Amino acid sequence: MSIQTSRHTRRTILRGLGVSLALPWMESLAPRATAATLSAASASPQRMAFMFVPNGVHLPDWTPQTEGYGYDLPHILSPLAPVQDDVTVISGLTHDKGRGNGDGPGDHARSASVFLTGAQPRKTEGSDIRSGVSVDQVAAQHAGHATRFASLELGCEPGRSAGGCDSGYSCAYSSNMSWSSESTPLGKETNPLFVFERLFGDRPDGAVRDKNALRREALRKSVLDYISDDARRLQSQLGKGDRQKLDEYLGGVRDVERRIERTDDEPKVSVDVNYPIPKGTPDDYAEHIRLMCDMMVLAFQTDRTRIATFMLADAGSNRSYRHINVADGHHDLSHHGGNAAKHAKIREINRFHVTQLSYFLQRLKSTPDGEGSLLDNSMICYGSGLSDGDRHNNENLPIVLAGGGGGTVDQGRHIRVSAETPMCNLFMSMLDRFGTPVDFIGDSTGRLSGLRA
Amino acid sequence: MAILFHQHPVVAVDALPESAFASSIVPFLEDYCVSCHGTDSAEGQVVLDRFTTSANVQTEYELWEKIVRLVNEHQMPPVEESQPTTEEVLAVTSAIEAELAAFDCSSDKHPGRVTIRRLNKAEYNNTIRDLVGLDLKLADDFPSDDVGNGFDNMGDVLSIPPVLMEKYLSAAITIGERVYADEATRQRVFPHSAKSDDERVEVARQNVREFAGRAYRRPITSAEEDRLFAIMFSAWGQDADEAEIYQTVIAAVLSNPNFLFRVEQDPTVDDGDGIRELDDYELASRLSYFLWSSMPDARLFELASQGSLQNPEVRIAEAMRMLADPRGRGLVDNFAGQWLQLRDVSTLQPDPQKFPEFDDELRFAMRRETEVFFETMIREDRSILEFLTADFTYVNERLARHYGMDDVAGDEFRRVSLAAGRRGVLTHASILMLTSNPTRTSPVKRGKWILDNMLAEPPPPPPPNVPELEEGAETLGSLREQMEQHRSNPSCAVCHTTMDALGFGLERFDAIGALRERDGRYEIDASGELPGGRKFDGAAELMVILGEEKKRQFSECMAKKMLTYALGRGLVSHDRCTINDAVTKLAGNDYRFSSLVAAIVTSDPFTMRELKRDP
Repeated sequence: MSIQTSRHTRRTILRGLGVSLALPWMESLAPRATAATLSAASASPQRMAFMFVPNGVHLPDWTPQTEGYGYDLPHILSPLAPVQDDVTVISGLTHDKGRGNGDGPGDHARSASVFLTGAQPRKTEGSDIRSGVSVDQVAAQHAGHATRFASLELGCEPGRSAGGCDSGYSCAYSSNMSWSSESTPLGKETNPLFVFERLFGDRPDGAVRDKNALRREALRKSVLDYISDDARRLQSQLGKGDRQKLDEYLGGVRDVERRIERTDDEPKVSVDVNYPIPKGTPDDYAEHIRLMCDMMVLAFQTDRTRIATFMLADAGSNRSYRHINVADGHHDLSHHGGNAAKHAKIREINRFHVTQLSYFLQRLKSTPDGEGSLLDNSMICYGSGLSDGDRHNNENLPIVLAGGGGGTVDQGRHIRVSAETPMCNLFMSMLDRFGTPVDFIGDSTGRLSGLRA
Repeated sequence: MAILFHQHPVVAVDALPESAFASSIVPFLEDYCVSCHGTDSAEGQVVLDRFTTSANVQTEYELWEKIVRLVNEHQMPPVEESQPTTEEVLAVTSAIEAELAAFDCSSDKHPGRVTIRRLNKAEYNNTIRDLVGLDLKLADDFPSDDVGNGFDNMGDVLSIPPVLMEKYLSAAITIGERVYADEATRQRVFPHSAKSDDERVEVARQNVREFAGRAYRRPITSAEEDRLFAIMFSAWGQDADEAEIYQTVIAAVLSNPNFLFRVEQDPTVDDGDGIRELDDYELASRLSYFLWSSMPDARLFELASQGSLQNPEVRIAEAMRMLADPRGRGLVDNFAGQWLQLRDVSTLQPDPQKFPEFDDELRFAMRRETEVFFETMIREDRSILEFLTADFTYVNERLARHYGMDDVAGDEFRRVSLAAGRRGVLTHASILMLTSNPTRTSPVKRGKWILDNMLAEPPPPPPPNVPELEEGAETLGSLREQMEQHRSNPSCAVCHTTMDALGFGLERFDAIGALRERDGRYEIDASGELPGGRKFDGAAELMVILGEEKKRQFSECMAKKMLTYALGRGLVSHDRCTINDAVTKLAGNDYRFSSLVAAIVTSDPFTMRELKRDP
């Protein structure tokens, strides 16, 4: 396995150039955005992240045999051993809206677009793309104002640059999983350097601003006023479909304005965090994933955001995993036709992804936050929108939920929910704990009762 | 509704005689449709027993297109109802296609409507390059643009997530700084300078008026000028120096929706039939973003100001000028790069154990070969059929070695006769690689790719409950033997006969496009037979047959791809009229590349805009 090598690489990088990041969030100033009933035990804010892997998994080596506490860790999940007590495996969840339901082929595209929305995507190559608002964006729209960035959208693959993605579905469905409105997929950032610069690059915390800097900022604000004014004038002359594009534009401008205002009155002192500036997108895939995980940890730790989504690969990805001696394309392999040799390769790919999840969870666990760790105050949902890559089925999805949710989730169990329980019911329960409850999301029919033992 | 064209070759242009409609379509409707979609139980308000003698395509085409799609995709009849055989599906859909092909284009115009398009990454980079004269490539750092209809310039698909707005703003600020970092650039962007204090206000206004006009790709209004000047005035009031004042204006213009979006006004109530002809400036942008992926140049602006671009002859002449211009590279990078999917060549990862000779030098050479070939097609205005049949190509030393050619030295590409066994772009290593898996070839993938991208005959999806073919397990026999087993299932055979014949014709090339005689322990058999009985052995013979027998299909395919790209939207029903016209013009002009471009820039969808109808 290549884990040892990657660890070594990491240490090498850590010796590189570092910057100091101030932690703006201090316990005494902690905003109490979380729901009092659910998170009374925690003074720290809740964080949530969603991680997607493509092409389903090899379920026989994923699903624990036993239920409840102390479950066994099958081959694919075995890298989770160091954090098993912080991880709950949930079997039996379903994304019905990932099924064709009269729309024919296109399971891969649907598996990503449905993953956080629970909404049937409109089958279209290019006109009037429609999905639903994703769970992370529901949370971001309710609570995102508390942080400089409402949410982060990350990935390792930049999406296809040509050709078709899946059976008549625009590539927007395959390469995005966060949707801020039913027609607006949120493009993801794949370069860790750009994530880092975006999070921390705008202005050194605590820097004293002289007269010139103040004037520059004033001029920039006047530019923002000007362009939103122009956008509104333009919008009033346009037809309906075009007006919506201007809405996206105006939403972006408002976000930037809000950020400038926030930066002005954020507290400036606290603990220093040393982290090397990433050099860009590494060639090594494991390193790439881990850098992205580090970005989420840093963002949570410094309270730049509390919500993140991360596609380890795009839906239907045919990436080759030769660093773990699987040279075949992942999608190609996932159509295993029951072939044992292919199963063996698929489960190594699945295990590789879970190894990276384990790295992320361990990083969160080793980062102090309030009276516990970041992991204690997080909910990390990991899984695939397809169950088996060959059958392309959407029931009994491979899903884990990690992190204590501020003491609101009893972790360390394998729970099995009744057949056809919507995945969105899990989202409902997560949104409750995040302090942003809603009446429904996607095709939810209620809440998941089993997150408390 | 965006259902277009057919899934199967259109054989006839004339509608079937009424009796044929009654004999070939009506029985299918009766057997499989009207029990739910009849006068008595009109599910979804669809009533099909009212069609007894004619399809009435002139008024009912959308319904028929929907029927073709749903039947083709096995959506209808629903699984619990009795199912037509694959042969019946193909027969009825091609009969309906024949009806649809008889649609009378002279009846009324429907140019369609393009959703307001933001610049994509390539267009942003090129536009900044041509606007300020600095090739900064700032958009390389923007999130990638999603692809729809095979291209990344679709108005509906291009969204603006908040992260992109941030990048637009910081890019606009960076550009302002870079313009002022260099005196020559500054003078190019703001050429006018005041000779006396009295002139300063007017000169500043003139600089801003001209810059914003180029950036917005149309003259700015006096109200816009006043407001831009107000920003300068307010900056001045805050003690900003001249550089800072101008940089503020640059930021305001380059983060402005009028710059970032290609704005076209919708028709108003004054426009008859909800259709308006685009004005000259809108046409200038349509031309420049189609052929250059960039803003119009001074000449296009000049012609627009004279109202000359309304003249189709002028547009054709300009298009020819633009194709010859170095900026025509935009069409190669973005149209060819996506139609032929050459962009994928940069990211594919063939298995290094199976293909140890593959390296980045070869990767680059593969992509460049097909690009240079495409450039040649434009520059020499050759027949587009040569995409299939050309007996020449371009290689450098590295690629020549890959092809087993001697006597080519050095990095630069030169024209050579194709090695034995190769013809046309389908035998370029680039396309052979991007239609393969990392460890092995996939004849099905190659066959499907040709049907999708070269012949406009995308095969319908496999019927439900057919197991995915397991290619590549040697114990089961050669790939060809496995495929033959697969085809013994008649519902698979209908489509796989053509798809596999095409793919196996290319089997003598491995997953990185090198010639081979064996696949593992099996000798390659690259012979085959196309429906209709033409036999071939190997790719070269296959390509010659395609070039002779598939002229119309290939022309139609390339016309559809190019029109989609030129418009920035998926094609809809009435676009079939433009496609038919383009195919006719190609056939009448020895299939010259220029005749396709000319047909597009003079077409209704390219020059007009229609109010959106409710879907």
